[in-house]
Amino acid sequence: MLRRLLIVTLLVVVTGCGDQRILERLGFIQTTSYDIAPSSEGESEQKLLISVTIPRPDSGSETGSGSGGVNREFLTTVSSTGKESRINLSRQTELQLVSGQLRNTLFGLSLAKQGIWQHIDTLVRDPSISPRVKITIVNGNAHDLLAKNYPFHPRTGQYITRMLDKESLSQVVPSTTLYQFTKDYFDDGIDPIAPIIKESGESIKIDGIALFQKDRYVMKVEPKQAIIFALLRTNIKQGDISLDLSGGNREHEHVTFSSLVSHRSVKMKPSKGSFHVDINIKMEGSVLEYFGALDLESEKDRSTIEKLASEQIQAKAKELIAAMQSNRVDSLGLGKNIRSTLQYAKWHNMDWRDTYQHMDVQCHVKVRIKDYGMFTK
Amino acid sequence: MKEKLHPFHISVLVFMIQCGVVIFFLPRLLAQHMGYNGWVSLLFFSAIAAFNICLISIVYRLGNGRSIFQIFEQSLPRLLTFPIYTFLIGVWTILGCIAAKQYIIIFQVFVFPTTPPMYMKLLFDIIACSLIIKGIYNISKAATVFFWLVIWTILLLLFFIKGFEWVNLTPFFFHESSNTIAGGLSIFTAFLGYELTLLLFPYVDPKKGFIKAVYFGNLLTTLTYLGVSFICYGFYSFNQLTKMKFPLIDLLAYIRFPFIERVENIFIAMYLITSLMSMTMYIWAATETAQSLIPKANKRWIAVVLVCAAYAVSWFPDVLSEVELWLKYFGYMAVGIAFGLPLMLIAILVIHNGGRKIA
Repeated sequence: MLRRLLIVTLLVVVTGCGDQRILERLGFIQTTSYDIAPSSEGESEQKLLISVTIPRPDSGSETGSGSGGVNREFLTTVSSTGKESRINLSRQTELQLVSGQLRNTLFGLSLAKQGIWQHIDTLVRDPSISPRVKITIVNGNAHDLLAKNYPFHPRTGQYITRMLDKESLSQVVPSTTLYQFTKDYFDDGIDPIAPIIKESGESIKIDGIALFQKDRYVMKVEPKQAIIFALLRTNIKQGDISLDLSGGNREHEHVTFSSLVSHRSVKMKPSKGSFHVDINIKMEGSVLEYFGALDLESEKDRSTIEKLASEQIQAKAKELIAAMQSNRVDSLGLGKNIRSTLQYAKWHNMDWRDTYQHMDVQCHVKVRIKDYGMFTK
Repeated sequence: MKEKLHPFHISVLVFMIQCGVVIFFLPRLLAQHMGYNGWVSLLFFSAIAAFNICLISIVYRLGNGRSIFQIFEQSLPRLLTFPIYTFLIGVWTILGCIAAKQYIIIFQVFVFPTTPPMYMKLLFDIIACSLIIKGIYNISKAATVFFWLVIWTILLLLFFIKGFEWVNLTPFFFHESSNTIAGGLSIFTAFLGYELTLLLFPYVDPKKGFIKAVYFGNLLTTLTYLGVSFICYGFYSFNQLTKMKFPLIDLLAYIRFPFIERVENIFIAMYLITSLMSMTMYIWAATETAQSLIPKANKRWIAVVLVCAAYAVSWFPDVLSEVELWLKYFGYMAVGIAFGLPLMLIAILVIHNGGRKIA
């Protein structure tokens, strides 16, 4: 019995020697960037410029060694496909490249305009890649943004990932993962979105939200409108919004809502062969900053501010919805809501993009001032 | 008096045989073949399985708890029983080993991409063999231990409540279904396993609710499948689900704990034991049949020979698509056995009992 146990134990334990992964010899790809490679003469095929960053804690930043005093390795190559690039990149390092720790993929804007599904397909297919890998669009060239070392942020890849993590906590900047993108790509009632980032001197900043039609980048939501977009798309748990209430006989009037919490609901009814959609947004927050003639302590003035803020947000939302409609992108997922009220045949015989472009979408906003800080005049 | 199987152990055993590698891709099968809200059709398949169990219960009652081999041998000439037994041994052995091979290939793809799968299969078969030669009581005890090791993973589904969207379910039912008959058969193979309870007759206590326990095992499987499929339908979009090779593994890959993520490898390894139990029980059933075919042979040696034969057969299909194809056809045959065998036994018993009053 004991001998048999020993044999089985040995067999099981020895298996571990077959497929070894020694930590020190692995290169964990942290971020990958995809761009269209500058075309070389005589080549008709469009190639990709693919770069990866690999954290290298052993290269040490104190002595200024490593890649420019930064403890990461940066590899880049031109190839036809993503997986081919892995083979090329592997030739440039002594480490065995693995993608199990991949956190973020950056796509250059020009590539995103052509469509990114075939690259995402490769990622989704690979069992070693997590469905939580982020998808980010770079306004400009993704390779350049990733190649650069930012003085206060030792590892560029990690810097971007952490910044996006922090920003997406409030839901204002979407955290688009492989799972989310794939889900929306295949859903016929919503279009995918992704955050856009941009190089800005010595740092990187969030530059709005990319809206896709299927997998093709179509339009951008400006950073200032991002909060409006978020209010329209989802429930916000934490956020800030600054509004300029000037207009009419009002001058230099500003209000900032902090700790914003919002709830969004969508109602729809058929009208004249199309649909009438009402997006109702209820939001409340603290006003910690107000410049203007009104008095925050007065009940009446507070309700005036609430009313003005509601109108202001409503107007901006209307503008945004109109832009999305004219670009035929249903990034808010109104199609999903409409689908759930229809019968199968009706939904499938309908040209949803066409209907979406012409339907009547109204937004109703109700703002409440929860409190106005701990100081009175 | 010989030890008898407790009803709870029977339920667990039925659950462990039924719930195998199919659960990894059942939601996709449902989406592809049953269309929108295909998870609802699981109730229908479960009802068919329950009907089949009802047939088995009739055999049990008509035969007064005799083993099916006794029933056969008392009424049929050896010339007839021989091909039946051989067929049963063949299908059950191959089904057991191919299902295990499929699990091994999936496991290898995710966990040990460059380890030879047949080496892992060898380890797997050694464990299965050592279980089979210990007999059904020990198998059922092991099954109970394994059951507690895996059943809690159902709770992981709670993790997906946050990402679950009712609107993904859509109000459409069974639209965009394709290949419903063949697909339905494939889905039904996910419920297979209960038919092996035909061989448990001599090992159960007639006073305790044997058949009820089998129904309960089937119910447990149904609830597990429903839970997983329902979550998949709400967590993924429909068209995405039809394209995902192993939705359950993707679900597991999505889980992130504050201290660890990418835990799917651990969970895939955990489902090893459900596949192990399926294989063990199918080959155990083949062993029992072979014992009736050659009553003089040593049961242990039969088990060893069958496991070796199964190992040899599993060399043939070596890529996932081949394994899937084999599994599909042997699955169909096993469905045939699941219905054919009890029907045949009922016919024999009715004819044999003749005018005698049914007890």
